[in-house]
Amino acid sequence: MMEHAPILFILIPVITAIIIYVLRSRWSHYLAFFAQIIVTVLAVIYYVDIAPHFVSGVIYFIGDWDVIGIPLMNDRLSAVLVSLTIFVWWMVLIYKFRPKEAEPTFLFFLLFLEGVFLGLLQTSDLFNLFVFMELTTIIVTILVAFKKMGSSIRAGVYYLLLNTAGVLMFLIGVVLLYYTFGTINMLEIRNGMEGLAPGHTVVGLAYVLMMAGISVKAALFPVFAWLPRAHGVAQSAVSALLSGLIVKGGIYLFIRLNGMFSPADFDYMDFFFFVGLATALTGSLFAMMQKNIKVLLAYSTLTQVGLIIIGLVSLDDYSAGLLHVVHHALFKGLLFFAAGIIVSVYRTKDITKISGLMRSMPIVSIFMIIGMLAITGAPFMNGYISKALITDALYDDPLRYYAVFLVNIGSAAAFVKLSMIFFGPKTLSYPHKNYAQIVPLAVISLACFVFGIFHESLGEILFGFDVSAVDPFTFTALATYIVTIAFGFLLYHHLIRPDRKGVRRLRRFTVTFETANYLFVIYVAVLTGFFLLL
Amino acid sequence: MNPILTFIVVLIGFYGLATSKNIIKSVFCVTIIESGIILLFLNLGNFQGGGIPILNGEADAIVDPLPQALMITTIVIGSTVTALSLMLCIKLFHRYGSIEWAQILRREDVE
Amino acid sequence: MISVNRILKNALKLTVLLSALGFLFVFFVISMVDLSDLYSDDGMRYFFEHGYAETGAKNLVTAILLDYRLFDSLFEAGILLVAVSGVIWISKHDLEEKNVPFMIDKHKTPDLFVTFARLVYPLLLVFGFYIIINGHLSPGGGFQGGALAATAILILYYIDTDKETNVNFIVTSEKLLYLAIIAVTSVSLITRGVLFTNFMPIDASADWKAIYLVILNLLIGLKVALGLWTIFTAFLREGR
Repeated sequence: MMEHAPILFILIPVITAIIIYVLRSRWSHYLAFFAQIIVTVLAVIYYVDIAPHFVSGVIYFIGDWDVIGIPLMNDRLSAVLVSLTIFVWWMVLIYKFRPKEAEPTFLFFLLFLEGVFLGLLQTSDLFNLFVFMELTTIIVTILVAFKKMGSSIRAGVYYLLLNTAGVLMFLIGVVLLYYTFGTINMLEIRNGMEGLAPGHTVVGLAYVLMMAGISVKAALFPVFAWLPRAHGVAQSAVSALLSGLIVKGGIYLFIRLNGMFSPADFDYMDFFFFVGLATALTGSLFAMMQKNIKVLLAYSTLTQVGLIIIGLVSLDDYSAGLLHVVHHALFKGLLFFAAGIIVSVYRTKDITKISGLMRSMPIVSIFMIIGMLAITGAPFMNGYISKALITDALYDDPLRYYAVFLVNIGSAAAFVKLSMIFFGPKTLSYPHKNYAQIVPLAVISLACFVFGIFHESLGEILFGFDVSAVDPFTFTALATYIVTIAFGFLLYHHLIRPDRKGVRRLRRFTVTFETANYLFVIYVAVLTGFFLLL
Repeated sequence: MNPILTFIVVLIGFYGLATSKNIIKSVFCVTIIESGIILLFLNLGNFQGGGIPILNGEADAIVDPLPQALMITTIVIGSTVTALSLMLCIKLFHRYGSIEWAQILRREDVE
Repeated sequence: MISVNRILKNALKLTVLLSALGFLFVFFVISMVDLSDLYSDDGMRYFFEHGYAETGAKNLVTAILLDYRLFDSLFEAGILLVAVSGVIWISKHDLEEKNVPFMIDKHKTPDLFVTFARLVYPLLLVFGFYIIINGHLSPGGGFQGGALAATAILILYYIDTDKETNVNFIVTSEKLLYLAIIAVTSVSLITRGVLFTNFMPIDASADWKAIYLVILNLLIGLKVALGLWTIFTAFLREGR
């Protein structure tokens, strides 16, 4: 029975979602919790069971068709991300919990998305991946446009059309690969590629097209334009989910596809370092300019995604980037949940109009401070471990090291700006009654501390790699952090606070849809030129 | 020759996406891209010729059936994406009174 | 205001775009030439030799859709499900709206069309069901036949412009049909110990296996027809 667990991960949320939608009862939320408990128990049993096989992965062919069926693969990478997914969905379900009412339609889409996303993380078949990517895109569009305000709907359309264009580009790559290798099974294609001489144009073009599609999904430069819109207007629970997890789906696919193409030996590390750096700098720059709290956090996600890509391509394995994926999901979720509470209490999203948070909601303030310390990389927090891993990987190349340092300063400036809401006189606010919302904040804050302090043992057990090189208990760690924050504060004080004309112009900067697609085509052409000519 | 022509269709779709100022045009460009990809996939399957993939005992070589099955799925996916985006366009028109990208993206938050 | 500066900027953007697309085109042609050396038809060989024996369907495309890659088809039906719910949710009128041009419903369809529609409607419906049920022997299947059946039902809207439909009932039955599909495909867990395949044992004759195929095609066809009908109803309501 246990060997069918991969399918059950996918099916249980989907079936529960449909039952919730059909019954439409007041107890829908409890049903969702019940399903989530079953999935969690299954996941724990299954992953403990297959833990010895984590390196090579356990493959489960659906329908028992050996070579031509659809395989689901679970190795260490999938296991980590599946566990993270289940955890984040727990947090979202608790955050949205109201004892007397339930929103069946919202729960339907939420749980369906969980099943689909768990499928995306496990499947090892290219067309199945395409189906899951499109399904994720559609459900996320509906969740973003859920409130049906003008801004939500336009963000939804933008997201849907741009992401569909990217995924269709991915599909062309799949077409080329199928006719070259006679299969769309990712493992078989990798085997086939080992027997093939390098330098074939078909394989190169397929790689380029698939990478371009993945870049849209992972919001890399220059096709990130959908992210600030979509994550900035969705409701906080949805934003936490999107920023924390769905965008990481694109990064997961980045790792998997590069793994599949590894026999062809494309020199992607340098190219994607600059893409990651451009993404991080853009996010950093725009985050500082924003007054809308959610858009600020969305641009901060962009920065961290850039750092994750830099981490992934700077080492031989994906350890540095993967750790930051997990940690970022934790503290970005925390920040978005806190932002949701703040917005509902102060009835505005403009951070210049919110002040006196310390006095009106001290508990939420403390958790939010923990989140901000984590994201800027304070010692004793999980953010420090992952950021230090990434910067240590770049230590040999001073130019790159200082570029990332610059990114961290910009990020610090944005959060210094955000922290201004803690001080000052208490402005008009409504009392906060929904205590269930504090629970996710507390749990995630605790997790941030735990991951920050016990990083060595946890790193060994959960991820299987050696993070002992990073030590937060040294003086240099603290000194580096204080210097970063100091520079960030100076940057904020002299450039941002006066709110000059340049800052205002940059705040209003938007990428139109045609420009986004134009940039997408240029990006594909540049990728082709780089990988097929050089 | 056929696969190259279908790829031109796909490129036309991307050109349209990068230059259309109207939301409905963008939606149809996505449809064009998807149709182009479907034709591309099916055409490449016909490389060595053969009969239809139904075993009536007539042909001794068939066209590859896997692309055909995958493309049925793709057609369904494409039509649902189109339906959803058109419904969103209708709502956008009700909210903003226009279906031009420039007008819609520039307005500040309108409820 | 049209200025030379803007025309030059637009011309530059256009040239860059066209050259990027042309660049991609050149590489595609090169890869086509490359592909003609590497072309592999392993997939086709396998289906040709083993398809009928293992699945009981003469139509190999149906064999793939309903047996080898059943998981894909499940989530294809799932996409329809989610899109229908999404379209209904978005089309619900909750807030006040300006700029709603109400289409005058005096749009009378010509009598000739109504008469012929009355003639064609039953034929189209029967043809749709024929395609659904014969999916495993001739071109067709659940998805294709379902679309045909949906078209037949939609013709009714032209005949009778004031037709009222109970959308909630259709949506609920569509979701229940989806659960039924998952149930039917999971029966194989009990009979063969494997999920998501035919519930007949693998060495049963093709006729026995066809039972599963017909049942599944019927369920999928019904579900697709109901889903497309709902989407169309939602769009019609927007126009009123």
